[in-house]
Formats: sequence, structure tokens, C-alpha cells
Amino acid sequence: MNDRAPHSMSVTSGRRGSVALARVSVNFGQLLVVDDVSLGVAPGEFVSIVGPSGCGKTTLLNFAAGLLPSDVIRGSYLVGGAPPVSGNRDIAYMLARDALCPWRTALENAELGAEIRGVPPPERRQRALELLDKVGLKGFEDAYPKALSQGMRQRVALARTFSLDAPILLMDEPFGALDAQTKLQLEDVLLSLWQREQRTVVFVTHDLSEAVSMSDRVVVMSARPGRVVADVRITLGRPRSVRALQKDPAYHELYSHVWTKLEEGLSP
Amino acid sequence: MTDRTTTWTVPQIWAGRVAILVAFFSLWEQVAARKLIDPILIGRPSGIVTFLWQEIFVTGSLIKDLGWTMLGTILAFLLGSVCGVLVGMVFVTRPTVEALLSPILMALNAMPRIALAPLFLIWFGLGIGSKITIGFSLTFFIVLSSTVAGGRGGNPDHITLARTLGASETQIFRKFILPSAVPVIFNGLRLGLIFALLGVIGGEIIASEHGLGQTLTVLAASFKTSGVFAVILLLALVGVCITWGMTWLENWLLRWR
Repeated sequence: MNDRAPHSMSVTSGRRGSVALARVSVNFGQLLVVDDVSLGVAPGEFVSIVGPSGCGKTTLLNFAAGLLPSDVIRGSYLVGGAPPVSGNRDIAYMLARDALCPWRTALENAELGAEIRGVPPPERRQRALELLDKVGLKGFEDAYPKALSQGMRQRVALARTFSLDAPILLMDEPFGALDAQTKLQLEDVLLSLWQREQRTVVFVTHDLSEAVSMSDRVVVMSARPGRVVADVRITLGRPRSVRALQKDPAYHELYSHVWTKLEEGLSP
Repeated sequence: MTDRTTTWTVPQIWAGRVAILVAFFSLWEQVAARKLIDPILIGRPSGIVTFLWQEIFVTGSLIKDLGWTMLGTILAFLLGSVCGVLVGMVFVTRPTVEALLSPILMALNAMPRIALAPLFLIWFGLGIGSKITIGFSLTFFIVLSSTVAGGRGGNPDHITLARTLGASETQIFRKFILPSAVPVIFNGLRLGLIFALLGVIGGEIIASEHGLGQTLTVLAASFKTSGVFAVILLLALVGVCITWGMTWLENWLLRWR
């Protein structure tokens, strides 16, 4: 268990699937949202960012996705070796809310991302069908979102995210609105998808147990202005099952360690 | 129709409805026959039936006039809604154009359209052209404002998602803004169709060569009250059919709701 894991910035930056932040600060007008954050995510790594509300974790994701103007940022932010741009094909973004189109069926929703990025119809349909199967929605391909539960809708959103062949997945509290049981199920679905393909995941959440159970590393941020308080390597083995971990003492030990760090970050 | 605590079956409900109508028309017939109220004022159900039979199946004149009215309504509706949707979409996608034109159109819309009818009659004559213009002037603004409202009511998450996916402006419009606006636009279309009918009938009442509105004025001027009621009944039927047809179309188009 080593805090402040080596960033290996020089190694990770510039490679496809890597994310590298060096001394990044973000100001919205007078408001300092993110303060001097340095962070490296290697290709294929699953990194969670946790912290209290308003600590700038979503801002960091939005930045990587090219959703913010470049004049609010200082420092260097590289996604796959290049500065962030919106519509970067190396990135798949999953929002907190499912953002499904109610006028599209589950299958059409799962295809949406690939459709916009110009993947030919037979190919994207095949991929979407496969992913709907993997997220456990076989038989619901033609259902409209109104007929799906919250958990099922988020499964469709997972399928839509994974049906893009982007090496970097940015996830902004994708399971935040789900009940505890559904959340555990979907965390396992996400892990199984990720373990097959080993894509880079940057996962923002305020749920510590979610972060510890899924990630390779948990980055703890302080209250605003957001700073990195700790970078904890999660030494649990792979493949993991989130549900099985709930009874694992090693998991609980890591959890309380991260919790301590988070509390330190809350008290100034 | 929701079944709450009703213990009546559907056929019973229908039988009840028929009974109420039969009772109402019998009462009306008796009141008119015994001259408790002068039939010149209220007409007679039997007179209405005779009139309808005569004018629909014998002379066919009512069908011809209905045809003129419906032709005017449909053309007014089509022109008005197509223009309304197109201008509305330009407003949604080009805020400058909206800032420029919106107040002018609002002022036009504030004019009581029926007051413009005499002007339209001078410009487009007694024929169907003036009726279409009146109907158009009503439908256009209704559909325009619902299109603008629908185009604004999109889900911001969709736009965020579209931008991270690298969607072009055209894609954002076609795949997100337009489909999410359809339900609201449809409310405008439904209302627009009723108002197209209203505009056409209104125009025909003021001055016309054909149409149910014109028939109505002629009948009323010669105190053929049963005939007036017959035409009103026919118009009510047309209204019901329009509403029913639009509901069917809406349910089919918006089956995802």
C-alpha cells in the first residue's frame, strides 16, 4: 500500500490510451476549482477519482473530453499524447444520467455513438447486439427506454459507451443514481467488460467502496479547490468480483485507508 | 378512459350513452312539436334528419360544400404547418434570425385574424384562396411557437453526449433536437388543424361562393333552423374525426412515449 504512487509521467504521456496531467489548475472566473493537479494514467489502467462534491473531479473529466474552453486551464493536459479536443475518437464518455434517446430502441441507443462516429451500419449493429448481450439485455433489443428500469437503462448506456472502439473511457458517476443492489450488479458488468478489453478507465465517483472495489488506483481529492491528497494503489487481485469483495478483509482495510485520506482532505 | 370504480361494462356504458341521447332528442322533438318553444328558434330533430337526408343523399349539395371546406382546411393546414415548422427550426438554430424577426411576427400574431378577413377577401377574392389565407394565418403562428418551444426543450445531456462523440451541427439537429421536439410540435399541429378549420369556416361565413360556412349563413338568413343545426352537427362530426385522426397519428408517430 504505497501512497503517492509513482506517476511515471514520462513513460505514460504520449501513448495511445494514456492520460497525463502536469500541474493542472482550473479557474472559472475568480473561482479556483482545481489546484495544481498532477496525475498520470497508463494505458489499460482503471483509475478512480474520489472526493467531496465540488472538488473538480467532473471538471477534470469534462476537460479531457474537450468540453471546456482552453482559457480556463493552466498546466499541461494530454489525452493520448495530444491536448484535449471535443469529439476525440480516442474517448468514450459516460454521463451520470443515462442520456438515452427515448425515441430510439435499446439497440438503436447502443448504436448511437458508433453511428455518429460514422461506423458502417452492419458493423455497429453487430457490435451493439454483442454488447447488449454482455450487459444482460438479450431480448430487450427492441424495447424503448420507457419500458426499461433505471438499471437497465444504465446498462444500455454502458453498451453504448463500450460499442465505441475508443481506448479511453471517461465515466462520470455512471452508477450514482442506482440502488445499492443494482449498483453492485452493474459494477461487475463494467469490470467484466473492462477485463476483456483492458481499456483505460478514468472513473469519477463519490462512492469510496465503488472506487476501491473496481480500480487499480484511487486518487483522493480534497474539497474545493481540488488537490490530490492521496494516490492509493489497490493491491487486490484480478479478476475481481465486486460482490465477492464485500466480505474480503483486505478490501475493507484498503477502504478504511482511503477513507482516512478522504477525511484528511476534508479538514483543512 | 380509466376504469376506476365503475361497475358498468363497456356495452352498458354505450347503451347508457345512447339512452341519454335518445331521451334528449325525444324531449327536443316533443318541445318543438307542441310548440312549447317556437321551432323557428330551436329547429326539430326530425327536420334535421330530413335535411341531412335530402342534402346528402338526394341533392348531394352538403357533400360538395363539405368538400370545399375540407379542401380549404387541409391546404391551409399543410401550408401553415410546413411554413411554421421550417421557420421555427430556423429560429431554433439561428438565434440572430429569431432576434431579428420574432418581435415582428409576435406583433402580426397579436392582430385579430378574423378582422383581417375582409382584407384577404379583397386580395384573394370570394373563392377558396381567401379562406386558405385566413386558415394559414392562424395555423402558421401556432405551429411556429410550438416548434420553437419544442426545439428549445431538448435534453442538455444529449448535447453533451453529442459533443463528446464529435457530432456535427447537422447531426445534433437531426438526431437529437428534431426528434425531441416532435411531441411538442405535435400539440401545435393538433391545435393548428382545428384553427385551420375555424379560419376557413369563419371566412366562408363572412363571404363565399362555396363551403359549409356559406351554407350556414344562407340557412340562417332564411330561418331554416333545422338546417343550421344539421350543418353544425356535421361540423362537430368533422371536428371529432380530426381529433381522432390526429390522436391516432400521434400515437403511431410517438409510440416510444
